[in-house]
Amino acid sequence: MEILDKLKEKFEILQSQEKREDLALVGTTEKDLIPLLVYLKEYEGYKTLVMISCVDWIEEGKFELVYNLWNPSKKHNILVKTKIPREAPKFQTIYKIWPQAEAYEREIHEMFGVDFEGNPTQHEELILEDWDDIPPMRRDFDTLKYSMEKFGEREPKSGIIIRKQISEQYDEWRRK
Amino acid sequence: MGLKEVLKPLGAWRQIAKRPHTILVPKVSREAAERYRGFHVNDLEKCIGCGTCAAVCPNEAIDMVPVEGIEPKKGDSGFRPRIDYGRCCWCGLCVDSCPTTSLRMTNEYIWVRETPDDFVYIPGYHIKGFEKKEKGYRKDKEHSFTDYHRVPMRELPPEERVETFAEVVLGYAEEEARREADRCVGCGLCIAGCPDRMHIPDYIRAIASGEYARSVNIMYENNPFAELCGKVCTRRCESYCSLGHEGDPVAIRWLKRFATERFSDLKQVIKVKKAEPKDKSVGIIGAGPGGLTAAYYLALRGYKVTVYEAMPEAGGMTMAGIPKYRFPFPSLKKQVDFILSQGVELKLNYFVDQERFRELMKKHHAIYIGVGLMKPWTLGVPGEDHPNVIYAIDFLRKINFKEPVEVGKEVVVIGGGDVAMDAARVSRRLGAEVTIAYRRRKVDMPADHEEIEGAEEEGVRIWEKIIPIRVEDAPEGKVKLVYGKAKMVDQGPGKRPKPVLIEGEEYELVVDRIIVAIGQQADLSFLPPEIAEKMEVERGRIKVNHRQMTSVEGIFAGGDVANRVADAISAIADGLRAVKGIELYFQGKMD
Amino acid sequence: MSKEEVRLFIGPQHPGVTGNMSVEVLLKGDTITWAKTHIGYLHRGFEKLMERRIYIKSFPLVCRICVPEPDTNEENFARGLEELAGIEIPERAKWIRTLVLELSRLQMFIMWYGGIAGSMGLSTPVQWGIGDRDYILDLFEELTGGRIYHIYIMPGGVRKDLPEGFEERVLKLMDIIEQRLPEYDEIIMENAVVQKRLKGLAKIPRDWVDEMGITGPVARACGFPYDVRKDHPYEAYPYLDFDVITEDGCDAWAMLLVRRREIDLSINLIRQIIEKMPKGEFLARLPNVLYWKIPPGETYVKSEATRGEFGYYMVSDGSDKPRRVHVNGPSFVHGITLLERLLVGQNIADVAPIMVSLQTCPPEMER
Repeated sequence: MEILDKLKEKFEILQSQEKREDLALVGTTEKDLIPLLVYLKEYEGYKTLVMISCVDWIEEGKFELVYNLWNPSKKHNILVKTKIPREAPKFQTIYKIWPQAEAYEREIHEMFGVDFEGNPTQHEELILEDWDDIPPMRRDFDTLKYSMEKFGEREPKSGIIIRKQISEQYDEWRRK
Repeated sequence: MGLKEVLKPLGAWRQIAKRPHTILVPKVSREAAERYRGFHVNDLEKCIGCGTCAAVCPNEAIDMVPVEGIEPKKGDSGFRPRIDYGRCCWCGLCVDSCPTTSLRMTNEYIWVRETPDDFVYIPGYHIKGFEKKEKGYRKDKEHSFTDYHRVPMRELPPEERVETFAEVVLGYAEEEARREADRCVGCGLCIAGCPDRMHIPDYIRAIASGEYARSVNIMYENNPFAELCGKVCTRRCESYCSLGHEGDPVAIRWLKRFATERFSDLKQVIKVKKAEPKDKSVGIIGAGPGGLTAAYYLALRGYKVTVYEAMPEAGGMTMAGIPKYRFPFPSLKKQVDFILSQGVELKLNYFVDQERFRELMKKHHAIYIGVGLMKPWTLGVPGEDHPNVIYAIDFLRKINFKEPVEVGKEVVVIGGGDVAMDAARVSRRLGAEVTIAYRRRKVDMPADHEEIEGAEEEGVRIWEKIIPIRVEDAPEGKVKLVYGKAKMVDQGPGKRPKPVLIEGEEYELVVDRIIVAIGQQADLSFLPPEIAEKMEVERGRIKVNHRQMTSVEGIFAGGDVANRVADAISAIADGLRAVKGIELYFQGKMD
Repeated sequence: MSKEEVRLFIGPQHPGVTGNMSVEVLLKGDTITWAKTHIGYLHRGFEKLMERRIYIKSFPLVCRICVPEPDTNEENFARGLEELAGIEIPERAKWIRTLVLELSRLQMFIMWYGGIAGSMGLSTPVQWGIGDRDYILDLFEELTGGRIYHIYIMPGGVRKDLPEGFEERVLKLMDIIEQRLPEYDEIIMENAVVQKRLKGLAKIPRDWVDEMGITGPVARACGFPYDVRKDHPYEAYPYLDFDVITEDGCDAWAMLLVRRREIDLSINLIRQIIEKMPKGEFLARLPNVLYWKIPPGETYVKSEATRGEFGYYMVSDGSDKPRRVHVNGPSFVHGITLLERLLVGQNIADVAPIMVSLQTCPPEMER
């Protein structure tokens, strides 16, 4: 793919893949990410930022930031990714390049706890009011445990047998 | 923009003369569509409590609960789904994944009650009034999450089979095995069908995810003859498979065969945990599957084990009785060698008679009798002692130990069990024309249906309702079977019809050999009189308690000599149970 | 905030057909000087829930991300899953999916058509819109077994085949709706109130479109022919004959025109689909869904919802549950970035028509 070759010449590309005719994937370093985004926007026609997402790779101790760009004339999407440390995660904001990034970064700040330096509104609550736990989209946040602690256990029902217990209970019967 | 735009919207007033689009609820009720996903109904008779609905429910709305009046039995856990309509989202995934298609939805969507508890109920058990509704969402068997079609097993074509003793079944390829294993819904109802209670869903899931070594390790937790079972097990588990109610059960036996056959060196695969050596020793009489299973697990627990075998090879009936086209010798050798490598001592050609039994009693702290059934039942008709009348068990043993046997051109096999099928198919391979004569109908045959089909494919004729009357000598070294025909007399509900000889009719059949395969009995003449008189024997079998101990302290028994099922897997199960029994006996905690 | 200004919360109850969200505005007289979107009144944690359950259990969940138009979510999730797992779906399934998607668009547009009038206090079209939409829901009920949440599009195809005679009933209903539309036009399009209020309202500068990532009817009302169905054809759309609808007004009136023409387009497409639909199998054989492990990988799939581009970013780590599913609805941009900027300088009474014009949908902002 032409665009991937161009990027490889100019930036440090850790991973690249052509997923579909209209979707490519590029992994780069933390340092090269924003120059790469700007390059794509200014010179390659990837004018639109579709979304910013974050993936928690808890085993590696990393967060992966995913920037999805769209080229309206070539009808092509490109996913630009970089991994940042999971401990005290921080990154630069790109809201001056794309205004909607402000809201996306605010969401990621709230859900994953990534600090986007320079984003003026990221500390404002987007969805969660008075949140009192770790950012909820992190993999180590246990929704069930939180809900049990916060709202109490669901009324215990008598005689509940969930499936994995069936064979055990059944086995008990067999032993008789 | 002008007056027109102001007046135009007033056109809406035209609607006042038209019929309304709404209906007058509740005077007029609206029946929901044919496929509507409304309240559930469950056919309790058809439901087997497998819990697949509870497993797939995204909202944990389904709990499996015991139901009054439904007792657990083989192939039925006795639980039934209870649905909490406070959580149900009417997605119908439960219906789509129900293996027996007992659970379905009606198109009923209105149901009003004052108490919330009324909305948590067991469909089919708590009658709610819409059970009779025919319309509603139903499972389409061919387009659902359940795959009802077994991956077919490749076999040698029948023409080739009769030429050779090569294995008939070719086994699954890896992709086929994984596809077949993936069909398992993991309900575990099959475990009740297995005498040895192998952890079937676990090892099948391991095969499906490609972890074959783990799979074999799971099997070896309670069966050191997994490969044997993978080839010749009577697989009662498969008859309790939840998929078997509406389609083909998962091929549990073939999957086990696939996983075990992948490894030629079991020592590298199976991780054994050996206990500290202990100072007690156990003598095991008979190196059949039961005896060797007991030996293997006793050795793992640190006991000294010696196995005494009368024949020149270990394996018992699996060595002597099962033809090699079903169970090749190298496979047996591989499994026996692995058991012996755990520190089990094996004495071959060591026939235990009364004198030797007394010696063993002194030498060992406990004895396990797993001698099997080696004495054939006779027909009990005049002329049976004719030299051309042979017994299937002797015949098969000679074949398996490569002793010379002559069957001639025409053979009649009397009997309808697996041994009869084996004798017939072996005779076929020796070039004879074979007829199986059975006193009941073909459907009544105790043999595995696949064996019957296999025999027929290979050109074996099956005659039903034949009762032998006498055997006579015939010229040219042949033998004449005089037989009558039977009629089936109904014995009332739940009982097998009984064959009764039609008097006054006699037919004749002249053949080269008559092979009798109507079962075997135990030969307990090796027991010294002082033991024999204390040992309780019930209808030809040694009586044992739930720990496999006979009525004589310290003597345990198992396998065909003690149970009535008489197959390899129950012998293995007996052996495993005896291990626990022997251990408790040594610790003085026998319950 | 100066002394002349008043702080006012609009919402979180529906101001029309937009859903529970709130807009905080500062008012100087009747004019808005500053606006901020507040969401979180619906937060049900879809993305988090999906990470905790096996793939098949997510299907009854994804459709709930957008109440009026659930099929886009089902289709996107199924298509993403198929791409990750490498499943080919039968040809007929693609056509049935397209039919469902178009029917779904049609009912959404009809409801919206009534809704935009409702946001300006005209309550008759709202009733009509809801009522006529119900006839399409009847078809959905017959086809899928559910009226609102269909849970019909599954990985591997669709759950059931079309019932007997379904095609004829669809065509018959299309004729009925087509006959009804002039009556709608009479009371909405040709209504002085609507024309006066919508023309020139919510004027979007053209350069915002690419920069902000505005999509769907809003972008098309600004003259940009962005339509995922044409740009990145999926399912059976490559085989359908249609043109992307654009208008040049850049205002709420142009958005209304685009959507009005979309209704005609949808009816046209549904007729094409029924004419061209092939016979055959409709569901591919899946692995055992209870233990279905998806090979590691990631993908971004998108489709055209009534509000704009709807995308699913899915990451699998090789287990039986997704590592991450990011649902990217068009309203995230339309409802926050664009709405906050667009409201400034507008009249307080126009907040509802603007929100309805942008078709903000809070469930997809706060998945």
